[in-house]
Amino acid sequence: MASSRRSMDSVQSVQIDGLVVLKIIKHCQEEGSGGTDLVQGVLLGLVVESKLEITNCFSFPRHNDDDEFDEVQYQMEMMRNLRRVNIDHLHVGWYQSTVFGSFINKALLESQFQYQHSIEESVVLIYDPLRSTQGFLSLKAYRLTKLMMEFYKDGEFSPEAIKSSNISFESMFEEIPVVIKNSHLINTLLCEMSEMSKEKPDYNCLDLGTSAMLEKGLRQLMSCVDDTASEANKFLSYLRQYQKQQMNKSQHSQKRQAENAQRVQRGENPLPEEDLNKIFKPLQQPSRLDSLLLAGQIDNYCGQVTDFVSQSFGKLLMSEGLQDDSQKPQ
Amino acid sequence: MSRFFRSSDTESESSSSEDDIVTKVPVVSRAFQFSDDEEEAKRVVRSAKDKRYDELKNIIKQLKNHKKIKDMSNVLSDFEDLGKAFEKARKVVDKEGIPRFYVRCLVELEDFVNECWEDREGRKQMSKNNSKGLGALRQKLRKYLRDFEKQVQDYRENPMEGDDDDEEEKEEDEAGAGSDSDSDDDVGPTTFLKKAEPKESKTDAAGSDDDDSSISWGSDSTVSSESEEEGEAREYDASMFLKKQPGEASKKDAIKKQPRQDKKKKLRTDRDVDDDEGEWTQVTTGAPMTEKPKMFAKDTEVNHEAVTKKLNEIVSARGKKGTDRSEQISLLQELLSISNTNNLGPATATKIMFNIMAAIFDYNPNIATCMRSDMWDICISSLTQLIDLLIEHKDITASEHILEDNEQIEASPYRVRGCILAVTERTTEEFTKMLQACDAHSTEYVDRLKDEKPISATIVKLQKYMEGRATTEEMCRIYLKRIEYLYYKVRSSDRLSIPLKSESSEEIMEHLCKFIYTKDSSDRLRTRAMLCHIYHHAMHDRWYQARDLMLMSHLQDNIQHSDVPTQILYNRTMVQLGLCAFRQGMIKDAHNALVDIQSGGRAKELLAQGLLLQRQHERTPEQEKIEKRRLLPYHMHINLELLECVYLVSAMLIEIPYMAAHEMDARRRMISKNFHHVLRMSERQTLTGPPESMREHVVAASKAMKTGDWRACKTFIVNEKMNAKVWDLFHQADVVRDMIASKIQEESLRTYLFTYSSVYDSLCLNTLADMFELKKAVVHSIISKMIINEELMASLDEPTQTVAMHRTEPSRLQSLALQLAEKVSQLVDNNERIMEIKQGNLFYQKNQQGGYQQNQQQWGRRNQRQNRQY
Repeated sequence: MASSRRSMDSVQSVQIDGLVVLKIIKHCQEEGSGGTDLVQGVLLGLVVESKLEITNCFSFPRHNDDDEFDEVQYQMEMMRNLRRVNIDHLHVGWYQSTVFGSFINKALLESQFQYQHSIEESVVLIYDPLRSTQGFLSLKAYRLTKLMMEFYKDGEFSPEAIKSSNISFESMFEEIPVVIKNSHLINTLLCEMSEMSKEKPDYNCLDLGTSAMLEKGLRQLMSCVDDTASEANKFLSYLRQYQKQQMNKSQHSQKRQAENAQRVQRGENPLPEEDLNKIFKPLQQPSRLDSLLLAGQIDNYCGQVTDFVSQSFGKLLMSEGLQDDSQKPQ
Repeated sequence: MSRFFRSSDTESESSSSEDDIVTKVPVVSRAFQFSDDEEEAKRVVRSAKDKRYDELKNIIKQLKNHKKIKDMSNVLSDFEDLGKAFEKARKVVDKEGIPRFYVRCLVELEDFVNECWEDREGRKQMSKNNSKGLGALRQKLRKYLRDFEKQVQDYRENPMEGDDDDEEEKEEDEAGAGSDSDSDDDVGPTTFLKKAEPKESKTDAAGSDDDDSSISWGSDSTVSSESEEEGEAREYDASMFLKKQPGEASKKDAIKKQPRQDKKKKLRTDRDVDDDEGEWTQVTTGAPMTEKPKMFAKDTEVNHEAVTKKLNEIVSARGKKGTDRSEQISLLQELLSISNTNNLGPATATKIMFNIMAAIFDYNPNIATCMRSDMWDICISSLTQLIDLLIEHKDITASEHILEDNEQIEASPYRVRGCILAVTERTTEEFTKMLQACDAHSTEYVDRLKDEKPISATIVKLQKYMEGRATTEEMCRIYLKRIEYLYYKVRSSDRLSIPLKSESSEEIMEHLCKFIYTKDSSDRLRTRAMLCHIYHHAMHDRWYQARDLMLMSHLQDNIQHSDVPTQILYNRTMVQLGLCAFRQGMIKDAHNALVDIQSGGRAKELLAQGLLLQRQHERTPEQEKIEKRRLLPYHMHINLELLECVYLVSAMLIEIPYMAAHEMDARRRMISKNFHHVLRMSERQTLTGPPESMREHVVAASKAMKTGDWRACKTFIVNEKMNAKVWDLFHQADVVRDMIASKIQEESLRTYLFTYSSVYDSLCLNTLADMFELKKAVVHSIISKMIINEELMASLDEPTQTVAMHRTEPSRLQSLALQLAEKVSQLVDNNERIMEIKQGNLFYQKNQQGGYQQNQQQWGRRNQRQNRQY
């Protein structure tokens, strides 16, 4: 218990039980209608030294908005029940499925902030069912950086705030390496199974049907870039307005000064100082959070595309090698 | 069937006239109609005095009858009428003194009222209306009698004195009396008017009729009809459904309610009174006409002078308030017959005829509504008569420039004032109004349309008559009239086979239009003639002539400066031009011609074929009236569904290949917004069933075409439903259908090549020809054209008859990447602009901008290079 209360810096890696992985996959498969709907659940486990061990999880049931459903009540109930059967019942984060990695948004930020606010070491596991069906198990653990936590806590997303807190899209989330750990029994079982199956080398994994995935990625990137551009436009127009106002302000104050000087010469009392903010209402500063998130999202997409492309290249080279290899004997 | 309709027609007319009567001048016009008939029978000249006195006497008689049955409300109304009639007779009375019988009547009435008032039992038993009427009558009478005190006294002193008493000293009092009685009576008439008791009054009227001798019927009925009229107007008043309770309760009620109601209805009463007065003044001024039944005294010599004088006399009544217009027409006609019997020469007849026409046009006081059908018959027949007369007697010069004084109607050469052209033009306008007024799908319309022939014939006749004797300006006008009656008519196909006796419509049009082109000085006539000419060309599939004329005239540039009817004609012409182009297989031209009309979705309004409901701004009634007047008669309409279908099919034939060619282009433009709108609408539907409407057919065809399935496309466009709806409306439907089929084949081939070229390495021409059932030469030419236009990156291999694809089109992924690059560069631009502001302009401009610009240029160059690579 004491170890779990150490600072979050100590958590260097996440160790996930095979059970948890399977449970998440099962949940997505059964309720996420093949990955198009988002599913969420709670992770349970504990912190051991610098390792966050996730040993169990349970899912949030689906419910319609109009149903009366108390999530907190449900979680408490669930954990109490698990405790009774002697399973780890410490809340260490949550998981969520995603479609093509489009998970960086306000909702995720908000809930992860809440989690980290109450449970320091909590993480969010992002599982991409579509990529998993293609043979890459895509399970990533994220948490908000310290910087981001403070930044979000202040609740001010003006350009100045971003500047002062020195935050950028790269320093919003940090990924924690994930290790999947199985018990020795399972490992032996797997070894045995692999020995049992005496199949020919399978070249299916060299499938080069890449364009569809790439196209999807590109499309998403495009919409993101569009959004970012419009955000930039908003910011630009704000800046222009701001400039204009500043100019007006300075003109006004100059005029006032000149008038006061005249008055002093004539021996009258100078005009009282006015609150400039009253005359020129300060402009609403645009929130830059959206563009931050969008930038993060773009970054994420780009990473995905790069991953995908490098894998594809690998496949290409491999298949080339295989072809050469197969042609040689003939 | 027709009989049934006809009868219903007359019914509707009569009812409409009744409506007019009720709303405007209830009694007068009906009375006039009546007197009209009477006039036919006997015409008696009576002096104004007699007339007035007769009027008074009639009312008095009526009053007496009502008194007998104690119908107080009617007595009251009679009394009011009497007051008014007396007021009208003021002139006579001023001269003659108050007639004895009038005073007697007043005295008797007073007695009667007093008697009734005293009779409390009787009063209790009276109906509410009656008791109210009695109260009002009593008050009024008292007031009224104050002005006649002296006469009444005289009368009471010696009732047996003769009728013709001169009592000049009282005249001045009387002058005030009438107006007083009218203005002070505010309260009285209200109660009466509102509470008129329909049931009883009717029976009363009937009863009185029985009592009366048959001779007095005519005059009597005018008054009784009035009361009936009022009864009718208020027949279903609440009072009718109220239970009539005799006795105390009703009386109390009446007393209680009276003042309140009076107040409420005061306003309306004032108006009623006004109305009544209006009626009555009309009666008196109108009366002289009706009292002048005889044209000439028996012994007067009927000569030119007398007839002219008489004519002027009749005509001078024109336009005056209360002149009976139908009366005038018949008078003029009689005059015409008199002049004919007396052989006064054609000029006199012409002059009178002109006046008859004018009177006919005057008959209808409202310009917006059309004339009655019987009036129309008279109109058209008199017009033909007039023109015949003019043609027959070549020595008559009729012109609007001849002044009345310079007329020469006694000897040849005759000179008559009047413009036959204007009359004809007015008649055609009237004809259009008649057609506008009737339902386009009724037999009535067909009946009306039958008059089109005589009108056209008349115009032709007039044209012949005027050739050589009219000014060029007038000639232009009559030619244009002729053109306007000719341009929209199709030469029927059976006439083609028969050797033409007369010249064809084309030649006529050519001749007429050329005349106008050369001679006309006003721009408007020439524009109209030109548009009609183009229209006519287009109707007859002379596409190139029509197009050239349209282009040469530069009408498209300045049509927006012309008046609305001409713009409508222009729209019609453009539509016809588009349809013509479509028939000729000029799909692009058809689309271009129709796109303006069709794009706003207001084709109906633009072609003046109906009013559209506007959601944004309501039309004012005047605006609506004006727009309604512009509408074309139904037989000139262009079928809107045909128009839309032609437009959509042309749009489909252009747009679908274009869409296939530019699938990846981010900045591709829509050729036809309307077509896209229709497509989107169908996509929005959750379930698309088999096509029903014309639009659905076109949408389904478009979808089939997208995949290059020309057979399905063709069956969607050309099938029985569409034939019945659209294609059969063309006059050479089969030619059009064949044209559409071949166009669909060609465009489907293009679409197919655009869509699937990336799949093929090479394509065999023969296979393509088989697939699209086109000749190989056609396929070859289409593909060659596509290659030349750089739409298809391929080359033809002659020896093997194949098309080899070059595969230079960017793949989907590549084009996506290009788009992304474009967007990113946009974003970069944005960011740079932000930088500019942040950095401050001066510093930035000096040090940075050059570098950035270079960067940008490099970017652009790189993009271009990329583009070129693909």
